[in-house]
Parts: sequence; structure tokens; C-alpha cells
Amino acid sequence: MSRSLLLLITSSAMLLVFGLWVPIKAVVAQELLEIAWAESQARQTESRPWPWADTWPVAKLSMPELGGSMIVLAGVHGESLAFGPGQMMGVSGPDSTVVIAGHRDTHFRPLEHLEPGNELQLQRRDGRWQGYRVSATRIVDSRSEFIDTHQLPAGTLLLVTCYPFDSMDAGGPLRYVVEARIDDAARVANIEGVHSQVRLSPAVLDEIDTVAGL
Amino acid sequence: MMFSSLSSQHSAFPFAANPPTRAAAAPPETRCEYVRVRSAPPSMAPHGFGRGFSRSRGLSAGCSGRVRRFMEGVSLWMAMLLVLFVQPLYAEANTGNEDSAGTLHFVDGKGQWQEPALVLGSEFDVRVSGLIADSKLVRTFKNTSDDWREGVFVFPLPEKASVYGLTMKVGERTIVGEVQPRAEAKKTYETARDAGRHAAKVEQQRPNVFTTRVANIPPGAEVSVELSYQQLVSYRDGVFELTAPTTLTPRYMPGEPLAVAPQQWQGGWAVPTTEVLDADAISPFTVDVADVAADSHRASVTFTIDAGLLLAQVFSPSHAVATQQDGQVVTVEPQAGDIVMNQDFVIRWQPFAGQEPGAAVFHQQWEGEDYLLAMLVPGRAGKARLPRELTFVIDTSGSMAGESIRQAREALQLGLETLLPGDRFNVIQFNSQPHALFMQPEMATANHLARARQYVSRLKADGGTEMAPALALALQGQGKTAGEQADESTRVRQVVFMTDGAVGNESALFDQIRRQLGDHRLFTVAIGSAPNRHFMREAARWGRGSYTSVQDLADMSGPLARLFAAMEAPVMTDIQVTWPGQSGAAMEDSFPQRSGDLFQGEPLLQVVRGVPPAGALSVSGRLPGGGNWQQSLDLQQAASGTGLNRYWAREKIDSLLDDARIEGQEPDKERITELAVAHNLMSPYTSFVAVDKTPVRASESALLQDNLPTLLPAGSQPGMVRYPQTATFAPLMIALGLLGLMLSAAIALLQRRAYP
Repeated sequence: MSRSLLLLITSSAMLLVFGLWVPIKAVVAQELLEIAWAESQARQTESRPWPWADTWPVAKLSMPELGGSMIVLAGVHGESLAFGPGQMMGVSGPDSTVVIAGHRDTHFRPLEHLEPGNELQLQRRDGRWQGYRVSATRIVDSRSEFIDTHQLPAGTLLLVTCYPFDSMDAGGPLRYVVEARIDDAARVANIEGVHSQVRLSPAVLDEIDTVAGL
Repeated sequence: MMFSSLSSQHSAFPFAANPPTRAAAAPPETRCEYVRVRSAPPSMAPHGFGRGFSRSRGLSAGCSGRVRRFMEGVSLWMAMLLVLFVQPLYAEANTGNEDSAGTLHFVDGKGQWQEPALVLGSEFDVRVSGLIADSKLVRTFKNTSDDWREGVFVFPLPEKASVYGLTMKVGERTIVGEVQPRAEAKKTYETARDAGRHAAKVEQQRPNVFTTRVANIPPGAEVSVELSYQQLVSYRDGVFELTAPTTLTPRYMPGEPLAVAPQQWQGGWAVPTTEVLDADAISPFTVDVADVAADSHRASVTFTIDAGLLLAQVFSPSHAVATQQDGQVVTVEPQAGDIVMNQDFVIRWQPFAGQEPGAAVFHQQWEGEDYLLAMLVPGRAGKARLPRELTFVIDTSGSMAGESIRQAREALQLGLETLLPGDRFNVIQFNSQPHALFMQPEMATANHLARARQYVSRLKADGGTEMAPALALALQGQGKTAGEQADESTRVRQVVFMTDGAVGNESALFDQIRRQLGDHRLFTVAIGSAPNRHFMREAARWGRGSYTSVQDLADMSGPLARLFAAMEAPVMTDIQVTWPGQSGAAMEDSFPQRSGDLFQGEPLLQVVRGVPPAGALSVSGRLPGGGNWQQSLDLQQAASGTGLNRYWAREKIDSLLDDARIEGQEPDKERITELAVAHNLMSPYTSFVAVDKTPVRASESALLQDNLPTLLPAGSQPGMVRYPQTATFAPLMIALGLLGLMLSAAIALLQRRAYP
């Protein structure tokens, strides 16, 4: 009896540890990625966060209203998504379409609080920040709808994560898509730096709330 | 840190905050299920915990009391954690019902893919006699739902098919359809549909893309629509070929989307664009085989071939077939029974070596008029090879991803092998933008060829299908110095265009080819399981070249070797056809009016009205060296044929459309309509409609529309990006772990209570 109890305790504890490992890894990895990102900006090359990594930082995404920023990695395979949001489509040209996907349990959890009008910023390797403004959020079924990249207007940023946010099912078909467009005003405001933006955020939030209230 | 900011935001944004608009709303019952399952742990937890707590209070103090108190503390904290963790689950589960109704098609409130309520069956019955293949295509729509349904299905037919009949079968009754001008047919159909009567309509969207609509299919019942069409068997190098197309490769629609309104994703994935105004009509939803019912989208195929001569072999490069021979008549069926409609069914037959027909004449009298169809294969003209300038254009757009790009790469490598020293060549790939290997065509030296091979082996398929700039790049004439010009004047300029033709703006591209062609010749190679054969054939015709299709990697070398051989051999030009009697009327009524050039092994086909089967048809042409070539055909030996009038009418309509294109005018709509109605034919301006007399659906019961999807062509990857998997098992594992620990704590406490 006590042996089976012990077994139950250990297996549950293992499950808990494995479960907690995912968010912990996501948090710790972002710290390491910050270093790699600084390095790749300094050297203007792809620099891997750790020698055996099969991905590298390609951009930095910031959500001023939600006060978070994170390093975006190349590719959307399981390895890269465990450490940060992954970029599905290029950050090459200034007006190129960017599609970034992230785990809903970790990095892209805050996506549920993004609303049309919110601001997003993306930093390229050259250090330049590009401002975006959320134009729409919607829920799609990944089996019946694809990302039709030809029909997205130039300068679109898509953030993709799983939906519903609090579901336990890891293989669900629904995706939450945040669509944002390039906003030059946001970029100008941004030159002052991200930190001032973060401080400004409550004011911005209020303003948006009133807009939404109309 | 990200997570701290996150949790603070949690409180700032209540869960009842504005739900996302345009979301797929989950129906209440789904949410209830969530609540039931997820809320079990918390409701159990405080309860069980409370009991344990009170019991431990009642226990006498002792040395084990400290341990117990410690256990209590631990389980209290774990219960707290569990409640905190699970709380958002049912909080979320209870809100969000006010999400606006889902606009997604084929997806129910649970976000589950919904199979269309209609099950589609197809039956091809093709009878070949001589050069004409007459097909009956029965589409069966079985309604598996409890509602009345209207079925909409977009489907392909052979690119030169003349559709001449429509019959609708409801139970035991058969209703014969008739040809009406397009707008009138639409009205007839819609009136009947709204009145609750059985009705069916088939209209032409492209010469090879049609839409069928069937109204008022009763719940649990079946309505079938039979289409009759005929087509000419293709004959080349002693091999006859016939195709039964089954599906469409999703097409790329260039131009800016017209609809500013939210994407509806209703009928298909495309919205009309500035360059393709009917994009939504030709792009049905494309799904995987696994996404339709197990008995839907299956086709039974039967070919009965009476070639008029003994056949050496009948085979299919696309499917395994079983053949049965009875004298001259061969019956062909797929070995596997019904085929899945994700790959075109191609069948080829071949007479014994040395017995390949060199000429054939068929005659038919229809409504007092004589119709003659003549086929003539010119003999081999000598081999005088000229130095060439060969440009390979390869489509690397997203629709080519998968098996198609492998085929195209292989085909291009084969093409590079045909280059000889002295030839010039270039390789151009295109998707959203074209990219050329060399700035201008280079000599075929070992070095350049090695570079080209490497370039080709690294080609990947991704992006859009912007054909126009690629064609312009391939067809441009380079400015050269006088000396080079003299050298270049004898050079044969050829463009090999490898693509699946998955574009919606065919017409604009034909115009461009016609304008920019110059002294080039354009050869098209159709790649993939379901290429747009109409585009391939017409592009080659406007490009004064020829068209070849390949089925798979194994089948590739044969057709391509023939194509490259034909490209190397000289071409017969200035072909003149003279019918006996040579009246003006006969000249005007013989088609094609301007015969194109003839490549080696290609037959010359002519159809004429008003010429009796007497005298001789004489054909003459010019060889590239300057020599003349002439052949005549005795018309008295004409065999009797059927359907020649329809073939003639179709050619006449095509010729009227061609004239309009060359002159840049609107086609003569009235004349085409008149011609189509007289010969009972489908055309861009006429549709078939069949309407029952008596209403069957009561006006109070609703009619739901079901847009049937087509299957993704075999071996191809979805043209667009799939959404990635973006969730982990972490929440599940944390919840299970906490639950397990809670349970063990409870058991441990109980054990202590039972055996102190």
C-alpha cells in the first residue's frame, strides 16, 4: 500500500516537474537569448545562443502595452518554440510580411490581451525598431484555413498561437491570430527608446480603451 | 521578467474583456463539457481537504501529530495551487459564449472539421471510337443530413471537351436539360430552386473548369447529374492519349484583392482580384483525402476503346489498370476499382509498330450538312539541326511544392542534357519574382552546364505564381552588335516552360505571349497530378510550340525525350490546306483556319462543314531548308463518324474567341450563343439547366448550401502555409501532477487515520 502510494507520489511529482520544466526553460532560455541577440547585433551575423542550438535569434518583439519583450528565433520547429517564439516567414525587406508563432503556454500567453489599436514593435538585426499596430484578432481553424501569404498586404505582422488559451489539449486545431500593420507613427515615437514606451503604457492603454468604448 | 508582468496583466484584464470578434464560437454544450470535466478537481479538492482537516483536529496529540500537521500544511498549499491553476480554466469556459458567430466554412462551433453533408460519387464512362471520345460523367450527390441541401461543385473537364448534354436523375425520374444563354439559365435555375423544385445547372467558368449546382436534394436522398461530353483523342508519335481529369490544383490569383470586406472563406480560398475577377468561382476549397467521407470523392472509370485497328498495348501512366480485349475493342478499368479523385486518370494506347496510322478521314451528315474530319501525319522531314538558344523557365511557386518540383527539376536536368556545344542557354525560375541564372543566354560549355545543374538541384518551391514577368524575361530580345546579330539570325530560339499552370489569369497571359513572342517558340511541359491543361495547350499554341504532359518521375523520360527530339528536328511551316471544290464557304468553315506549324510526329487535324466526301484533300508546307512538302488524302475512303458537328461547332466558337482576342475586342457573344444553342453545346455564354415540373420542398423548410471541396492533387503540398502547432503539454502535466500529489496526500492522511 505504502509502496503504491510512494509510486503515485513520485510519478505525480515527476509530472509536475516536467510540466514546470517547460515554462522554466522558456524563461531561462530568453535570458540566454538576450546575450546571443546582443552578440548577433554587434557582429551582424547569426549567432547561436549555445553551441548545439539549431536555431538563432532573428528579431526582438516587444509589446509595450503589456510590458513584455522577447527574442524571436528562426524556424517554428519544436526546438525553437521551446525557447522563444519562432519566425515562420522572413524579416528580410522593410515591407515584408512577417509571421511569428509562439507557444500559448509560455511566450505568447499575453497575446490574449492584445486588442486592435495596441502597439507592437519588432527590432531587426540592424537594431532598427519597426512599429506595428494591431488591426485585428481572430480565431482560425488550422485544418481548414491556411496562411495565404500572397493575399496579406505588404508590411503585415502576424502573431500566431494556439487557442483556447486555457485549454489542456496540446493538439487542438484552433489558432489565435493577431494581425498588425506597419505604423510609422509608432516607429517615430519609438526612437526615444523602449523603456520610455513601457512607462507610457498606462496612458496609452487608457486612450485605447476610450477608442474601443466608442 | 515576462511572467511577472504577465500575471499582473491578468488582473488588469478581466476575462470578460471584449471577446475577439469574428471568432469561431463554441456552442454552449461544448463549453459545458469543459466545465464538467475541468471543474471536478476543484470541487472535490476543498471538500476532501476540509474533511481531512476536521478529522486531524479531532486526533489526539502525539509525536505523529507534528508530521500530520506538516502534511496538512503541504496539502493546503497544494490545494491552493490547484485551485489557482484550475480557476482560469472554468472562468474561461464560462465566458466567451458571446463570441460572434463563426464565419468559417466547414467548421462547427467546436472548431471541428465538418465533413460536407453531401457525399459525392462520380462515374466516368468513356467510349472511344476512332479519334473521338464520347464520355458520360455521372455525378451523384447523396444527402446524409436531415436538411434540404443545395450542392455546389467546381470540377475540371478535358481542356477541349464539348459538353452537349445534361440529364438529372431523381429516383426513377429523368429530367433532360437544355441549353440556355447563361444569364437566362441562371434565372431559370434560381426560380426553380426558390420554388422548391428539383433543378440542376452546369456552367463553364474556364474552358476546362465548370460549376455544377444541384438544388433541393431531399434529406437522405440522392440526386445524380449526368453530363455528356466529347473530346478529340490526342495522337502523337504513334501514341494515343486520353485524360479524365479529377481535380484542380489550387490556382494563384495575381493582382490586388478586390474585397475589402472580411475574408469569408466561403466557396473557396480565393477572393476576386483586380486581375482575376472570378477568382472565387474557380477556386473551390481543397482538402486532403482524409478530410472527406470514406465513400466521397471516389470515381468509377470505364474506358471502352474501339480504335479501329489492332492495339499493341493499352496502359495508364497514372493508375494500375486491368484491360480486357474483345477483337478490336478494349475495355479498361482501374485495378483498384474506384479511384480517389486526387489524380487525373490518363490512358494511352498504341498500335503495333509499323501500323501507326498516317492519315484518317471521318464523315458525318447532320441536319443535311456534311462534316468531315481529317487527320494527316506528315512523314519525317530530314534532319538539319540548327544551333539553338534554349531558355528553360521553371515554376517554383508554392503550388509546385512536393512531388511537382521534383518532377520539374528532373525534367530540367533532362533538358540540359540535350544541349550541344554551340547552343546557348539560360535557366529562369519564377515564383513571386523571376530570377535568371545568367544575365543573358550563355554558351553551353561544361562550366556553364555544371553551374546550371547545381542551380537546378537547389530549386525550392515557395511563393506566388507571377508568370507575366517571367515570360517577359524569357521572351525578351537582347540588343546585340551587328556581328553577333548575323550569328544569331540563324539561331532557333526556344523557350521550355515547366509549370502546373495553376494561375487564374490565363487569358491575360495568352495575350502577353502573342504580343511578345517574336521569333521565339514556346514549349510547355505540364507537371503534377492535376495540371491546368487548358493553359498548357493554349500557351503552347499561342507560342507556336507544342505541349507535353508528364505524369510522374517514372513516366517522365518518354514524353520528354519525344518533346526534345521534336524540338531539335526541323519544323514544317506555312501549312496550306485545300479542300476539294475550294469554295469560299468551305474555306471559311474549315478549322483551324490558320494551321500552326507542325513538329515531328504531330498530326495535322482539320474539320470542315459543307464538303462532301469526294475528291482529295491536299496539304502543303515548307521545310526549313526552303524545300516544299506536299501530301494529299483521298476523301472517298472516309469512315462514318459521330459528333463531328459538335467538334466543328466547338472549333468555330474557339476561332471566334481567338479572333476577338487578336483584335482586342469583345467576342461576338450573340453569334457564339446562337451557334452553341443550335448544336446544343456548352460555351462561355451558354449553360445547361434541367428543371423538374413539380415542387418537392415545402417553402417553410430551409435549403442549406453545401460547397463541395475538391481533393488536393496527389503528391502536392498545400499551397499555403499551415498554422504550426503552438501548445505544449505543460499545463496538462502540471494539473495532473498537482492532482496526483493531492490524491496521495489525501490517501496518506486517511491511512494514518485508519491505522494509527
